[in-house]
Amino acid sequence: MGWEEMQVRGYPEFVRTAQSYHGRPIFALFCGDKDAEGRSWCPDCVTAEPVVRKELHNLPDQSVFIYCLVGDRAYWKDPNNEFRRNLKLTGVPTLLKYGTPQKLVEEECFKAELVRMLFTED
Amino acid sequence: SVQAQKEEDNPEKTMEVNGLTPVPDSYDYDLIVIGGGSGGLAAAKEAAKYEKKVMVLDFVTPTPQGSSWGLGGTCVNVGCIPKKLMHQAALLGQALQDSRKFGWQFTEEVKHSWMTMTESVQNYIGSLNWGYRVALRDTKVTYENAYGEFVGPHTIKATNKKGIEKLYTAERFIIATGERPRYLGIPGDKEYCISSDDLFSLPYCPGKTLVVGASYVALECAGFLAGLGLDVTVMVRSILLRGFDQDMANKIGEYMKEHGVNFIREFVPIKVEQVEEGTPGILKVTAKSTMGDQIIEGEYNTVLLAIGRDPCTRKIGLDKVGVNINEKTGKIPVNDEEQTNVPHIYAVGDILQGKLELTPVAIQAGRLLVRRLYAGATTKCDYVNVPTTVFTPLEYGACGYSEETAVEKFGQENIEVYHSHFWPLEWTVPSRDNNKCYAKIICNIQDNERVIGFHVLGPNAGEVTQGFAAAIKCGLTKEQLDSTIGIHPVCAEV
Repeated sequence: MGWEEMQVRGYPEFVRTAQSYHGRPIFALFCGDKDAEGRSWCPDCVTAEPVVRKELHNLPDQSVFIYCLVGDRAYWKDPNNEFRRNLKLTGVPTLLKYGTPQKLVEEECFKAELVRMLFTED
Repeated sequence: SVQAQKEEDNPEKTMEVNGLTPVPDSYDYDLIVIGGGSGGLAAAKEAAKYEKKVMVLDFVTPTPQGSSWGLGGTCVNVGCIPKKLMHQAALLGQALQDSRKFGWQFTEEVKHSWMTMTESVQNYIGSLNWGYRVALRDTKVTYENAYGEFVGPHTIKATNKKGIEKLYTAERFIIATGERPRYLGIPGDKEYCISSDDLFSLPYCPGKTLVVGASYVALECAGFLAGLGLDVTVMVRSILLRGFDQDMANKIGEYMKEHGVNFIREFVPIKVEQVEEGTPGILKVTAKSTMGDQIIEGEYNTVLLAIGRDPCTRKIGLDKVGVNINEKTGKIPVNDEEQTNVPHIYAVGDILQGKLELTPVAIQAGRLLVRRLYAGATTKCDYVNVPTTVFTPLEYGACGYSEETAVEKFGQENIEVYHSHFWPLEWTVPSRDNNKCYAKIICNIQDNERVIGFHVLGPNAGEVTQGFAAAIKCGLTKEQLDSTIGIHPVCAEV
């Protein structure tokens, strides 16, 4: 069946989407919002996204890849935002395997080797 | 000679047949480390710093109960880390009780959820396992989740959990395979009993527990299980904490007894039977006295064996490469540079004969060994005056000689022991014991009253002991200690 991608924005939409795929492996990439020209306010996210996308073909069958825009810069900087509080995210970009402690944060997302390891190993 | 080829992309890998050793032009790796625990990972990461091509093989053979875990070794998965977290869980339970005397008011009964605690602990361990995987990948250390064994002087066979075998060669090897809990060898032990390998991920509350053993593992586990509110009994064959200062060991035992842990002394289990299945079920333990013919029986939900640990050195092909091991204990004798009798094979960690079984010791030995091998360093690991802490309900920190060993080595007349009971300020208000915390130092009269042993029994013993260990390493004398002004009000000022 391969894998499929869902694009969401904001915490409630992320949670709804993740829950709807309960039972399948879920990987999520969290990035800062993009402007009208499609550029994110988060420069590391701009660097990481193409690296991650290049490795998506390594996702296990049946996986869901959720591409999640977290919000604008002000929202992200708030130490109490829902992503920080509930998902324990500490930075963007964050790439994680939902429901496990496995994640890559910030510059770790630039490394194709590490992204591939997250997608392919237990 | 006949050479068998593996059906892979690597035709130059051959198995040694007819006793002829093929000499490869170059090895696959500069260094292969067998064992991804404290010692192994420290050595591998250090070698990668010097741009060496390194492989780590780590594999956990599941316990008889089926437990297994990820990369990181005993300390991270089934040792120090989960132990200290669960000890903390028990301390917090005590703190909640104390808090009422400090004015905190809550009407509900305080209850403990084993599942919530275990899930949190396992989650943290999972993040450590993952962190190690990232660290190895990031430093270009090749990691394989496979069981490594020697098949030739420079060749390792690695078998993964699917049974697939691969061969790798290296110029040098470090054995860091660690240990696993020992079983009693009595009927029902493997079928029904658990060990520390199973306890920290047990998917149900252990309930009424019998802990067999008197090691620090036994006492620490018994301690926190009792602290979480469970009915705990410890069955001891002879003495507590063999190898530790017995004066301190007895004080620890007394404290545990007074705080609700039952002790059955001078008995050993001879049979374990299942009365009822379940999670937990009910087990019947039959035990015999070591002093006579008396037989006793007891029923428990869980039986935890903590009678010792055995090195994983018997099934890794050491005989094929001529590495000597102590046949009786399985430990590997090494020189003071962690080298075995085979020059290109080294060993670190719990498997070493005559060395302390502690994570920081393994890490230090691993790092220094690699620096000597690849960075021209000469520093050897200093195994003297290594501080330790036992995380029993009343914590015990120690550095240097026990009183018995000091007397044996220097003679009763040449040592002076200074000691003191103390009452932690935090214990006064909630009316906790005023005569249990205790500290003593052992001094060598002939050497300027040099402090050669430090022992403290009290809260945060580990934190207290660390600084004293550094002072002892610098040659602390009684006079210097006396002239050091104390911090007030803390336990350490004693």
